[in-house]
Parts: sequence; C-alpha cells; structure tokens
Amino acid sequence: MGGGIRILVKDSYGFTVRPQHVHRYREYSSIYKEEEGERLEKWKEFLVQQEECARASHSKEEHTEPVVSEVTEQSGDPGQSTSEERDDSAEQCAAVSEVTAVEKVSGEEENPSEVTEQSSEKRDDSAEQCAAVSEVTAIENVCGGEENSSKKRSEGGLPSREAPSSQHGKRREVKTWADISPSLNCIDHMMSVRIKKTGNMKSRNIRCESNDLPSIDETRPSDGGSDDDNERSDTANAQTSSDKLPPETSFSWKEELASLVRGGVPKDLRGEVWQAFVGVRTRRVEKYYQDLLAVECDATDGKEHDKSASEGKKGDLPEKLKKQIEKDLPRTFPGHPALNETGRNSLRRVLSAYAIHNPSVGYCQAMNFFAGLLLLMMPEENAFWTLVGIIDEYFEGYFSQEMTESQVDQLVFEDLMRERFPKLVNHLDYLGVEVAWISGPWFLSIFVNTLPWESVLRVWDVILFEGNRVMLFRTALALMDLYGPALVTTKDAGDVITLLQTLTGSTFDSSQLVLTACMGFLNITEDRLQELRQKHRPSIVSTFEERSKGGKSFKDPKGLATKLYSFKHDHGSIVKENQTEAGLDDNIDLGEIPNLDSHSASLDEFLKGMSIDSEADSLPDLQEQVVWLKVELCRLLEEKRSEALKSEELEAAFMEMVQEDNRMELAAKVEKLEKEVAELRQLLADKKEGENAMLQVLLKVEQEQRETDQARRFAEQEAATHKQALHALQEKYDKAMADMEKRVVMAESMLEATLQYETGQSKASSSPKSGRPELQDNPSKKAGILSFGLGWRDRSKASNDDTGNVPDETDDQQE
Amino acid sequence: MGCSSSVPDRSAGRLGGVNPDNGGANDPKNLRVKLVLLGDSGVGKSCIVLRFVRGQFDPTSKVTIGASFLSQTIALQDSTTVKFEIWDTAGQERYAALAPLYYRGAAVAIIAYDITSPESFHKAQYWVKELQKHGSPDIVMALVGNKADLNEQREVQTQDGIDYAEKNGMFFIETSAKTADNINQLFEEIAKRLPRPTPPS
Ligand SMILES: Nc1nc2c(ncn2[C@@H]2O[C@H](COP(=O)(O)OP(=O)(O)O)[C@@H](O)[C@H]2O)c(=O)[nH]1
Ligand SMILES: [Mg+2]
Repeated sequence: MGGGIRILVKDSYGFTVRPQHVHRYREYSSIYKEEEGERLEKWKEFLVQQEECARASHSKEEHTEPVVSEVTEQSGDPGQSTSEERDDSAEQCAAVSEVTAVEKVSGEEENPSEVTEQSSEKRDDSAEQCAAVSEVTAIENVCGGEENSSKKRSEGGLPSREAPSSQHGKRREVKTWADISPSLNCIDHMMSVRIKKTGNMKSRNIRCESNDLPSIDETRPSDGGSDDDNERSDTANAQTSSDKLPPETSFSWKEELASLVRGGVPKDLRGEVWQAFVGVRTRRVEKYYQDLLAVECDATDGKEHDKSASEGKKGDLPEKLKKQIEKDLPRTFPGHPALNETGRNSLRRVLSAYAIHNPSVGYCQAMNFFAGLLLLMMPEENAFWTLVGIIDEYFEGYFSQEMTESQVDQLVFEDLMRERFPKLVNHLDYLGVEVAWISGPWFLSIFVNTLPWESVLRVWDVILFEGNRVMLFRTALALMDLYGPALVTTKDAGDVITLLQTLTGSTFDSSQLVLTACMGFLNITEDRLQELRQKHRPSIVSTFEERSKGGKSFKDPKGLATKLYSFKHDHGSIVKENQTEAGLDDNIDLGEIPNLDSHSASLDEFLKGMSIDSEADSLPDLQEQVVWLKVELCRLLEEKRSEALKSEELEAAFMEMVQEDNRMELAAKVEKLEKEVAELRQLLADKKEGENAMLQVLLKVEQEQRETDQARRFAEQEAATHKQALHALQEKYDKAMADMEKRVVMAESMLEATLQYETGQSKASSSPKSGRPELQDNPSKKAGILSFGLGWRDRSKASNDDTGNVPDETDDQQE
Repeated sequence: MGCSSSVPDRSAGRLGGVNPDNGGANDPKNLRVKLVLLGDSGVGKSCIVLRFVRGQFDPTSKVTIGASFLSQTIALQDSTTVKFEIWDTAGQERYAALAPLYYRGAAVAIIAYDITSPESFHKAQYWVKELQKHGSPDIVMALVGNKADLNEQREVQTQDGIDYAEKNGMFFIETSAKTADNINQLFEEIAKRLPRPTPPS
C-alpha cells in the first residue's frame, strides 16, 4: 500500500477524498449536483415567498418601511418591537426592498467576477480558504439578486457602524465580521424568536462577564445594539409567549423550513443560514471578540506587567490549553487548502477567544474541527459566535473538563440501541463490543471525519436548525439501521468495528441518511432524551466525583495553603495574629470558599487592607522592630502551617457539606439504582435464560452431530464389510474364471485330440463319405462352443486371448 | 472487566467444539488480542499505529477524537499469527475519563511518550499507574519512547525509560514512527510476550 502515485481527489468542499472512496464519490457527485439544483429552486422559492408575504401584508406605496416593519412583525412582535432592533434591521432590509430585483438571477457575465470579488472582500483572509467554494456566484445571485449582493457590501456592512472605519486600518489585526445577507433576514428573524429566549440569557452572561473587561463597557454607549439588551430580552420573553398567538403562520413556515432543511441547505447559503439558525446576530456583542483577542495578546506580550489589569480572570488562557491548541492546529483538516498559514491563524484566534470566553470548557479536542469547519464557511468573528452558540448551548456540558454530558449521552444512546435494535445489540454483546466504542467518537466529533462531507454537512444542517442534539441520536440510529444487518454477520469484535467504520465512511447517500434519521426515528425527541439523561446523569456524576475526590482532597489544601502563603509573602506585611485568625474564621463561612479558591486576588485585597491596619499599630524602635519581626516571622511560619491544616479542615467541611447536599440526591439515586439493579437482574436472568437456551440448543446440535457421526461411522463400517464381501466374491469369481479357462483349454485340447483322432480315423476308413456329414457338423459345433467360451471369458476378463481362435481359423482354412 | 473479552472466547470455543475442523478463535496458532494505546496528546500514538498498519508516515495526521480503531495481523516465526485489534485513544487530559471504556479488557497496552517531552514521560507514568490499578491484571504493558529520530532534541534519557519500565515489569523500546525504526519490532516483541492459551483438548 505504501508509496506509489496517488492522485488526490478533492471533494467540492476542498477535502481530500480517500482513495478507496474516489469511485463512489464520483458516482455521487452527479447526484449531489442534481440535488443541489433542486434544493436551490426550493429555497429560492421559499425566500421569495417569505419576502412577498412580508411585502403583501403592507401597502405597497413605499418599499423600505413596509418590509422592515413586516420583518419585525414576523418575528412575532405584537407591535412593540424594540425600536433599536427595528433600526438595526431597517438598514439591512432597506437594501432588500430598494433592490427588489430579487428574482432576477444568473446568467450575467459581470456577475461572477463581481460577486467573487465581493465575497473575497467580505471574507478577507478567509476568502482564500473558500477557493473551493468558487461557485458562490450562482447562489448569491439567486438569493440576493445581482445588484443586491453588490449593495449588500456597502449597506449590509454599514449597520455595524465601526466597520467602515476599522475596515481599512484595524482590519488586519481585528478580524472580519459580516452581516448575514439581507435576503436571509427572514430566516434570521424567524429563528431569532427561538434563539432570543436563550440568546438573551447569553448576552446577559456576556454582560456579566464583560464587567471583567472594562473595554467592553466602554463600547457599550456607542453600540446601540447591545445597550438595549435588557429591553430586548424583555420583549424577547414577550415575543416567545406571544409567539404562540399567531400559530398558523409561524407554524407553516417553520414546518416548511424544517422540511427544506431536511432536504439540505444550499451549499453557498450554508454559512449564513447556519448563522441564522444559531442566532449569531442576536448573540453577538460588539467588540467582544476583539477584546477577547486583545486580552489574549496582552497575556502573551506582557505577562508580568499587566497583571493587575487582566490577570486572574478570564484573560488568562492557561498555558496548557494554549499548547494543546498549538499542537492541534496543524492536525486540523491537514492538507485542506484553506488551512494554510492565514487559515491556521484564524483558527488559533477563534479557539483561543472561545477558551477565554468560556473557561469551563476552555479548549477541547474536537472543537478544532468545528471551528475549522465554520471558518471554511464564514468570516472569523461569525465563526466565533457560531461556535459559541454550538458549544455553549447545543452541546453544553459536552466538552467541558468533566465531559459529563457526552458520557451521559452515550448511556442514553445505548438504551435507545437496546430498545430499537435488540438483535444487533445482542450480537455486539456476544462479541464483546460496547456500543459506546462506536458511538462515542461519532457524537464527540459530530460525525466530522466519520461520514463523507456531504453527509456531515447535511446532518449539521438539521442539528443547527433544531438547536439540540436530537439529530445526533437519530443519525447514529439511522446508521445502525442501515448497517446493522451487515454487522450481524461479523464474527469478532475487530470485524464489527472495521466493517462499521468502512460502511459509515462511505455513506455517500446523504439524503437517504438524513431521511432515515428524521423520518425513521420520530419517537426520539428532546423530551425523551432529557428523560433518559436524567436517569443516567447521576451515575456519571458520581463516578466523576469519585475520581476527582481522590485527587482533590489530596491536592487542593496544599494549593490553598501555598496561595495563602505567597500573597502574604509578597506583601511582606506584618499581620497580627488575631486579625488573621479572625479573617480566617470569617472565611470558614462556606460562602466565601469558592471565592477564596478562585479569586486569590480578592483575598489579596482583603488581606492588604488588614495589613495596613496592622501597620498602623507598628513600632518605633528599629532594634525592637527587628526582634519583633523575627518573632513575627516565626509566628507567621507557624501560622502558615496551621493555615494549611485549617484549609484542609475547610476542605473537609466543604466536602461534608457537599456530601450532605448530595445526600438527598443520593437517596433518590439509591432508589433509582435499586430499581436499575432490579432491572439489571431481570435482564441478567433473561440473558442467562437466553444463554441457557442457546447452550441447550448448542448441546442439542452437538448431540445430533455426534449421532450423525456415529451413524456415519456405522455406515462406513458396513460399507467396509460390503467391500470386503465384494472383494471376496471377486476373488472367488476370478478363481472360478481361471478354473473355467483351464477347463476350456483342456476341453479344447481334448477336442483337438479328438479331431485329430477322427481325421486319422476318417482317412483310414474305407467309406470317407459316410463320415462327412458328421465331420461338417462337428466343427460348427466346436466353433460354437469355443466362441461361446471365449466370448464369455473375454467379457469377464476384458483381455483378448486369441489362442482359442487360431485352431478355429486354421480349421476353417483347412476346410 | 476481563469478562467482556472472555465471553466471546468462551462461546467461540464452544462453537469450535461443535465444528472441529473449522479453527476456532481460541486457536493458539491464530491469536486475537485487544491492544490499547495510551499517552499524552501529540506523542505520536496515531502515527505509530498508521506506520504499523499501513506502513506510512503522514506528518500531518489528524487529531484523534474519542478513539479510533485499526487492526493488523502479523505472522511470527513459529508460524503463529497474531491479529492486533488496536484502539488508539485521544490524548487530551479530559478524555482520560473515556479511556477505561477502551482499556477495559485489553490484553496489551502500549503507553507512549515523546522523548523530547519530559511532560509526556510523566503522563506515561500516570497511565502506567492507572492501568496497574484498573486494567486487566495480566495485561502486557509496553513503554514506548517515540520520536527517537529527534535524538538531538532528546529530553528523556533512554536509561530513564529503561529503569522505569523495569521497575514496573514492562517491556521498553524507543521507536520512530517517522523513520519506522523499531515499529515492527515493538509489535513483534509484544506478540512474543503474549500468554498463549492452552489448546483445548
Ligand atoms: N519526528 C517525529 N515526529 C513524529 C513522530 N511520530 C509522530 N510525529 C509527529 O507528532 C505529531 C503528533 O502525532 P500523532 O500521531 O497525531 O499524536 P497522537 O496525539 O499521540 O496521536 C504529528 O504531527 C507527527 O508529525 C516520530 O516518530 N518522529
Ligand atoms: Mg492521535
């Protein structure tokens, strides 16, 4: 296999097709093209329809205003839409309605160059990445209209006021952001109804967090969009409740959109449609991304200097994560043309920014692929916000330090497998294959690198549209559905995995996959999954707690003690014992502990204050001071030791509290576990029964086998005796034949002798005529006897002995 | 633990009894072993497997998510064959929570580190301890110092590897997935050390 000339075939996304799949890929690429054409038609129709619908419900006198207010109304707003948002979208929508040549499409010669230019401008560096997606043109046109898309550049860029100014100067370091093209606004608004619900929580979060980052607060006034976060969230709540009021309209388009999504998002709309699904526009906080990057830069540039400003909080990207990201950059879609130097820099920034944004996740392997994929489809900052939506929300708890939810999902999936494919799971059990071996990597990578790209993207379409992990389960089940029958034929664990890997890797029929997933597993719903997750979560959490307990109770007190030591040391301050004691006693209040642990800085402040107090009491004489200091030093050391002990106690107390807290949960857990145990027992019993039955069957089969064996042996023996008998017979027969022959020969010679004697007699006789008739008679008689004897002998011996013939012939000649 | 792997063996043996001239899976001449690769991220676990299975070195391997599976069969001089069922795991620390899923029931563990990274050597020791605690009791463990081609950047001395391996009853070897140095030897040595099943009478 090694070496040789390999022709690299790239798929339409720029990924190398595995050599063994080239043939199938070629086969399917024409189907893909066909499908793409069809879905383009449908999407176009849908978008135009939405647009028209929007326009129709208002007087046609002026385009600009109506469209805007329509759009806001569409998002379920009962008239009191936030004026800011309205303004926001007004400008974008103005572009749409001004240029209402939406339908006019394709064909024009200038278009391709124009649009490519536009997109490359829009995407800046990342545009190079999109070289593969050079067909952008057609669809941009379809959906935006030719003029529109050129306008989009100027108009669409405007609403984010800072953009123009930063576009040329700052652009290089501050990476690009692009608004979703106006023609997709309707989808954006439809989806934002959903996203706002969770989205506004998010922006509040960000708001809180952003308090750590003064720079963001500064941008607030200038940023109309985020200033009204509160307002917006209020109305968002109103909207979500009122969303139910006009069900017919919202329901119908949602259904329609859902079915469109199942059919696939057109390739060149995908980046923007995904953003609309994830609610990037709503999530985005102006300059947040840039500030994260700035913090990251600070941390690398002047680590020591800036400590007071950016240290200790989210600014710190832990060295460990940084290293990990660095290691993984070249291992993310290696060989993809987009992930060149610039592409990797973007990837690094997105991942680092995310890690700072959400420290509970930081960076987890797999996210490199997600961010990489997003970067292939959208500008950097857009990719960042999309990633935020996916990881913070859709996959919350999945990639965090504990990876709790991903483990929970594995147990849930196994449940569903047992329910849906009991035979297959039995087979897997029998071969010693665990379902999670297979499904774990699928879920963690969201099928990236396991399915062919077309299929991956089709699955992502649905996941991002639905905004949860239902599709993950459905797809995995669909794969089992498709390939289960083949898996059942395997004979060992290795073969199962290999076969399944091969089969999934060549699931080029993406439509079949998505339809099987969506239609075949309708009973897999979010509610159902949540229920099952609830059931399994406790066991995962408790194993994790057990795991970490070992390390934690051992390590943490030490950490705490060192911290306590080091800041005292830094200040070199003189702290009166009783004050410290008091402080610590205060801290025993458990509420303070997390604070103490995570924000040593605040404790720092606290103690600083104390030390100043104590300094006020300090002494005049230098000599005395030295002595005092020495004593104090000893005391401090002693203190340090006692603090270490105390912190250990604290830790213990804390643990106990936690345990107490858990006790209630535990009671429930115990109950649940007991139930589970009972179930398991039942299962085990069933299984044993099954196994016994199997054993019985096997024994029976074995017994039967033995019996037939015996029978065969009998038959063989009999055959042997028969053979012997036959042999004996043959021998007898041969002997008899030989005897016969001898007799024949004897008879012949006797005959001859008789003949001779007769001739002698006839010659000698006086009346030869009288003997003639007799003589004529005799030879014929003799010949008859001879020929009969010879023929018989010949037939039985198959060897020609012509000795008997010679006399006959001579006789005849003699005649 | 061990039961998950012994179940199929037992049943396979039973089937073999039914049909004696169809060599069962427990055939001492045709071994089948589950092998797991553990070690810090980036030490070259995936490259080692790819070198062994495909005979290639791809300097731009992909990050392993969760785990990945490959199998390879080798023939030994005594005409036995060994089929390795190899689980290559993800290296990042948080993925350690998933590792038991893969090392459970494994007959062999390769614990790899990068000779240019002392940190990865420490990580290897963590894995050795973890396996001693939670792995199959009769697991065959190999300590592998990879990237031996980067000798001039070496930061973990060969002797340290040897010492640590000896102390823990492991087999030790330094390899390079890049140059293919010692890769086949690694697996051959492992194969030789496998406990042979006694032929069923
Ligand atoms: N020089 C050298 N580099 C290696 C060797 N093995 C792996 N690498 C490099 O180390 C990086 C990580 O390898 P990989 O197999 O993905 O590591 P894993 O995370 O342990 O699976 C890859 O980019 C390889 O190019 C080796 O033997 N020599
Ligand atoms: Mg790997």
